[in-house]
Amino acid sequence: MNGIATTTTSWNAGVSRLVNPPRLVITKLARGATLGKPHDSDQQRRVLLATLNRLNDDAPLDHLILDEALDPQ
Amino acid sequence: MVMLENRDTWYTYFKDNWLAHYEATGETNFKIYQHPKNEHAPSGKGVTLSQSKLILITSAGGYLKNSQTPFDAPNPLGDYSLRTFPTSTPFSEIDFAHDHYDHAAVNTDPQVLLPLRHLEALVTEGIIGALHDMVISYSGYLPIATRTVDELYPEVLKLVNESGAQAALLVPS
Repeated sequence: MNGIATTTTSWNAGVSRLVNPPRLVITKLARGATLGKPHDSDQQRRVLLATLNRLNDDAPLDHLILDEALDPQ
Repeated sequence: MVMLENRDTWYTYFKDNWLAHYEATGETNFKIYQHPKNEHAPSGKGVTLSQSKLILITSAGGYLKNSQTPFDAPNPLGDYSLRTFPTSTPFSEIDFAHDHYDHAAVNTDPQVLLPLRHLEALVTEGIIGALHDMVISYSGYLPIATRTVDELYPEVLKLVNESGAQAALLVPS
């Protein structure tokens, strides 16, 4: 977007990598729960903050991979 | 910035395979769908988030259930329209029209896809400078990538540019 810094997060690493966005955070979460488990505010904030913090850096950035999942790994 | 590299090549393959199959049978077949692929990631300066206005863009299909028409979620060819609603909207007033994800999580806790209250808290905490008062919402089942580029994203870009935001967060479903 012209002059606008953008960031996104995705559980779908394969498709997201193909599109090649300027800032991307990849998780092991799932379709329909992109930011984390329902009512797990701590997890949702972790994913959100990791994604938002990328805005502080010039793009393009290497994709950041987070070990966040719906079930404990 | 090119949103869809090799556009003509992508569309030709799409038209001759996925679309031709759909038109012949009325069924979708994602085994013969080729996702768009960009070799180049856009470059751009970062921002100081704590001093910036952020706009939220969601592809979860959220809309105001009492005043807006739902997205055409059952449409096999997708719905390329958008809705906007205030970021202050109570979750009780929002529904989600998107047939391509399980709604169990978002029905339990909308913040798994629409982090409105989290973003408000981050503004209060000083992590985000400001949150634009409107959310840009669309339904993310968009198989015709050229329509996304030609119809949906010009409208998204117009709203983003009008918002005065310096940064955008996209939360896909």
